[in-house]
Amino acid sequence: MHMPSRRELLSESALGFGYLALSDLLAQSHAADEGKPPIPKQAKDPHFQPRAKRVIFLFMKGGPSHLDTFDPKPLLDRDDGKPYPGERPRVVFAKTGNLLKSPWKFKKYGDCGSPVSELFPNVAQCVDDICFVHSLHGTNPAHGGAAMKLHTGSDNFIRPSMGAWVSYGLGTENANLPSFITVCPTLAHGGVNNWGSAFLPAATQGVPIGNASTPVEQAKVRYIENPRLSTSAQRKQLDLIGDLNRGHLARTGPDAALEGRIDSFELAFRMQSTMPEAEDISKETAATQKLYGLDDPTTAPFGKQCLLARRFAERGVRFVQVTHSDSAVQWDQHGNLRKGHSKNALEVDKPIAGLLKDLKSRGLLKDTLVLWGGEFGRTPTVEGGGNDGRDHNPEGFTIWMAGGGLKGGLRYGATDDYGWYAAENKVHIHDLHATILALLGLDHERLTFKHAGRDFRLTDVHGRVVNDLFA
Amino acid sequence: MIIFITTLCPLIASALLTAMPFSDFKASPADIEFFKRKVRPLLIDMCVRCHGAEKQKSDLRLDTVAGIRKGGASGEALVVPTKPETSLLLRVVKHAEGVSNMPPEGKLTDSEIADLTNWIKRGAPFPATVNPEPNPSSHWSFRAVRIPALPNVKNVKWSASDLDRFILAKLESAGLKPATLADKRTLIRRATFDLTGLPPTPEDVEAFLKDQSPNAFAKVVDRLLASPAYGERWGRHWLDVARYADSNGLDENVAHGNAWRYRDYVIKSFNDDKPYDRFLTEQIAGDLLPSSNPNKRNELLIATGFLALGPKVLAEPDEKKMELDIVDEQVDTLGRTMLGLTLGCARCHDHKFDPISIHDYYGLAGVFASTKTMEHFKKVAKWHENSLATAEESEKIAEYEAQTVKLKAYIKELTGKADEASKAELKKRQAELVDRDKNAPVLPSAMGATEGTPTDIPLLRRGNHLTPGALVARRFPIILAGEKQPPLPKDASGRFELANWIASTENPLTARVIVNRVWRWHFGSGLVRSVDNFGLLGEKPSHPELLDWLASHFVKDGWSLKKLHRRIMLSSTYQMSGTDNPKAALIDPENRLLWRANIRRLEAEAIRDSLLAVSGLLDRKPGGPALTHVNNRGYLFDHTSKDLTTYTSDRRSVYLPVIRNNLYDVFQLFDAPDAAVLNGDRSTTTVATQSLFFMNSPLAMRSSDALTDRVFEIAKLSDSERVHSLFALALGREPEPEEIERILSAIRTFEKEFSDAGSDPVTRQRKSWSAVCQAVLASSEFIYIK
Repeated sequence: MHMPSRRELLSESALGFGYLALSDLLAQSHAADEGKPPIPKQAKDPHFQPRAKRVIFLFMKGGPSHLDTFDPKPLLDRDDGKPYPGERPRVVFAKTGNLLKSPWKFKKYGDCGSPVSELFPNVAQCVDDICFVHSLHGTNPAHGGAAMKLHTGSDNFIRPSMGAWVSYGLGTENANLPSFITVCPTLAHGGVNNWGSAFLPAATQGVPIGNASTPVEQAKVRYIENPRLSTSAQRKQLDLIGDLNRGHLARTGPDAALEGRIDSFELAFRMQSTMPEAEDISKETAATQKLYGLDDPTTAPFGKQCLLARRFAERGVRFVQVTHSDSAVQWDQHGNLRKGHSKNALEVDKPIAGLLKDLKSRGLLKDTLVLWGGEFGRTPTVEGGGNDGRDHNPEGFTIWMAGGGLKGGLRYGATDDYGWYAAENKVHIHDLHATILALLGLDHERLTFKHAGRDFRLTDVHGRVVNDLFA
Repeated sequence: MIIFITTLCPLIASALLTAMPFSDFKASPADIEFFKRKVRPLLIDMCVRCHGAEKQKSDLRLDTVAGIRKGGASGEALVVPTKPETSLLLRVVKHAEGVSNMPPEGKLTDSEIADLTNWIKRGAPFPATVNPEPNPSSHWSFRAVRIPALPNVKNVKWSASDLDRFILAKLESAGLKPATLADKRTLIRRATFDLTGLPPTPEDVEAFLKDQSPNAFAKVVDRLLASPAYGERWGRHWLDVARYADSNGLDENVAHGNAWRYRDYVIKSFNDDKPYDRFLTEQIAGDLLPSSNPNKRNELLIATGFLALGPKVLAEPDEKKMELDIVDEQVDTLGRTMLGLTLGCARCHDHKFDPISIHDYYGLAGVFASTKTMEHFKKVAKWHENSLATAEESEKIAEYEAQTVKLKAYIKELTGKADEASKAELKKRQAELVDRDKNAPVLPSAMGATEGTPTDIPLLRRGNHLTPGALVARRFPIILAGEKQPPLPKDASGRFELANWIASTENPLTARVIVNRVWRWHFGSGLVRSVDNFGLLGEKPSHPELLDWLASHFVKDGWSLKKLHRRIMLSSTYQMSGTDNPKAALIDPENRLLWRANIRRLEAEAIRDSLLAVSGLLDRKPGGPALTHVNNRGYLFDHTSKDLTTYTSDRRSVYLPVIRNNLYDVFQLFDAPDAAVLNGDRSTTTVATQSLFFMNSPLAMRSSDALTDRVFEIAKLSDSERVHSLFALALGREPEPEEIERILSAIRTFEKEFSDAGSDPVTRQRKSWSAVCQAVLASSEFIYIK
């Protein structure tokens, strides 16, 4: 049996990827030139049979309170205003006082009977498709560290983001679009690192469409439009560039990068039409638009983001992130919890439910993994004098997933009686990453990249696949 | 599937091959061969991921003989030689009742199980002869640099310089010939980009073509080395490995308002050809060096910015963790930048591959824990800056502060007085105080290091400060500095000694690492391709003797980088053409032996600078602050995502702000690193969004318009003369007749395209030429050096 050398392995698994992608691109463009439909050949085989093919990550920036949304705590209601009887974490972000019960009422929904608070009446209608993880925990109680931990697995080093790892592992199914798109991401708290590729090939990085301070209508890929040339004039300009480049290539001799560059102009030219087409939601039916809440100014902005996510997903984009953040830290209610969380939930509830229903009715939910969550949850104790705020809490919080081979209607794990710490069936962020990769058919211990003298993984040296979540 | 498993496994494979002690069983060569070919690969592929060096699930290891003999947690013998039916291993892989079924991914094939059975029947033989474990301390890069003998070569004429003989000897032994020398146009374009990051002007090219003297190229090299653009180019290379940035990045992205001083220090050091050993010493311990005057003193303080520029989690609520993370970043950066060693790997455990122990790490970490680069660690933490103020400036601010104190006392006095006059006076004085605070003079200062409290720190198990072990005395890694090191002073951090130890002719890594970096930045790939890692997992040098020859001459030349450039650039090796040679490409497809010049794409900065340079837009003003819209320590963008940084300046790219978390998109597009981690070997990717930049960006269009204006500067030129002018400006060469024809036909096409717009003929003509200029600027030839 031939044992491949380390170098051979690298060139096959890592460095070779670029060339592989490149040659596929070339093949595809030639097919397109000859008027044949493009064959999406850039996809790569996973390690094993995948349950999901793509991910939509709905990131709630700032840290929504699990105690006020999906994780009701009867003891918290009972002991409202009393001191917290347990031991507080060694490191906390801010000082907090006594216990604070949730201002919102919970009800059980669906066949599964999962409880949801008044904040999410629409998402509540979808609980039978939702798999809650109530026992998530991380380590970092500050926004920056926690956001990077959630997105990259590391809170103190620059590491590739989850989306970049997924792009690296699986490639894209549509070579005319990026494999990883992030819609209106926040530039704060890790910024580009949260969708960056770090040391992975650059093609795996997230392509941002606008940012958190851009209205979604204006969110575009940079330089996607030419302000002065008509398509016909630009086509002629590209023909000239092509001729110059082919002449240069002929003088230099065969060179993969130079050949790839010739093709990249053609891909760019096509992207100028595929991107706007993918972003054009005007052709969606009125019913669909309404489903996402586009008819209401409160829900329209996030609704459009969610609708874009579905359009990218159905066009073969591997990883789509949608960020809910305004130009403040949206879900960060140290004070004004009632007002802040009500407003935030109102903006996202209908669009999220719309996305789930729409994916389901189109048959996309079964192989699309929808992930919802913030960088941490919030404390059961009150922050500030107004009895109306909670601090950051990375010790125990809720995220949920839907679709993609998960058990719908499941409530997995639990926090303690007051909801401060993950207590039962704890799931660390590394475990979440391992599980997401597993759903996509990737073994988190095998998805590695050599850098700075060693093999790196999304899960570092940790991670446990939570098989109990799988349908 | 195997590809992915085995990325982790070759290491284990080598352990399995080499760490096997003698077997009890008398094994025939055929038995051993059977084990090597059938059994070992099977164990590696299917088992050692969970039962190996990294993990020992069920307390079982299958990568050592001892492990196989010992068996797992059940205590039952795993392998009973000659008795497969009683061997637990066989029952497990056969998925027998009552034992766990392995491997968990799925049952082995029948033939694989048959191989295992066969092996046990043979008596479970292991190799009887073992290769001794290679001694890590004999790794090539840890051995002293030696001056090698010059190799013999056949083509004496080609190997004009000694350097060439090392390259040629390897080519000749591979049966290859070096490419012909490059023509003069190619050569001056290559040299000008290499040394200055800018294209040659048409005048530079003409002058070189006219100069028939034998040292014409040497004159070009000297001219370029003397140009201030040299420091801007090579300083930028150094900034890559110093992970330079004008903002902190990470969680609290606040402005490094004074980082530009370090950037300017680096550029000046390169332009002054500061000896490299001195350059390093200043960056590690400039604050501890004597200085003759205040200016020199400030330069030394600024140099220590190297230690302070790293990204920090400034809102880390765990203050001790923050402190140790910062120390770790400093150890890691220092190790990789200056020594090519991944010291950071030894924070949690002994380095897995290099002979760097966790004790070595904490010995060195103690030096940085004894150094002050932070004012405090309370969130949001504040880094330290050394004052650069003159005595006069300091006096002035002391005076100002004294007056403020007086004013505050006076305000206190007035507060609470009820009479109208006092009330009015209070209001006035309060306004004055606000004004004073706003206009308080800011003293010049620079991020950097100063001595902290000298202290040894404990070893931290698994790198966790909550599980400290014994104190580790500050010292340098044993593999490099030996067991018997003079103890570091008790009353100082040890940074001064560290600097001297690194910047020493005795250190086997320092000179090798930098000459290899210089080689990388000239040729596109290092003699050691893993430029930041000279450890056991780094690559071996393609030409080890040449590396040592360059390193030893570099040291002999007083660590002069400019002399190193000359030595490299005046060789035939450097001056080869990039002509393709199918035979050589077959034998050496990666051009490791250098049978021709590599074709290289320009870096992000050089692409932007070239666009501005050929179009006449480039502003050559040197130095100064990078950030104008935000104060030192101010937020670049805090919770809002509004990016207020502007990149509208037409100055050289090295002077543009480097904003972590949100690097200038043009730089991001063309593979500039995020500047949070050092990178001496930037990658070159080709992605469609780069093409969008050339097709649609304002910079591309503005440059095309300006280039058009230059082409039209001489009004009376014919169209084909204009094509000549365009090619001379943008590509430094004459156009071929068919190229002229192609361009002119494109002009006609565009004239027609734009005719519908109804614009006047002059506008139409300019628009057409601008579209053509843009195509030339977008062409591969513009951004690739041959």
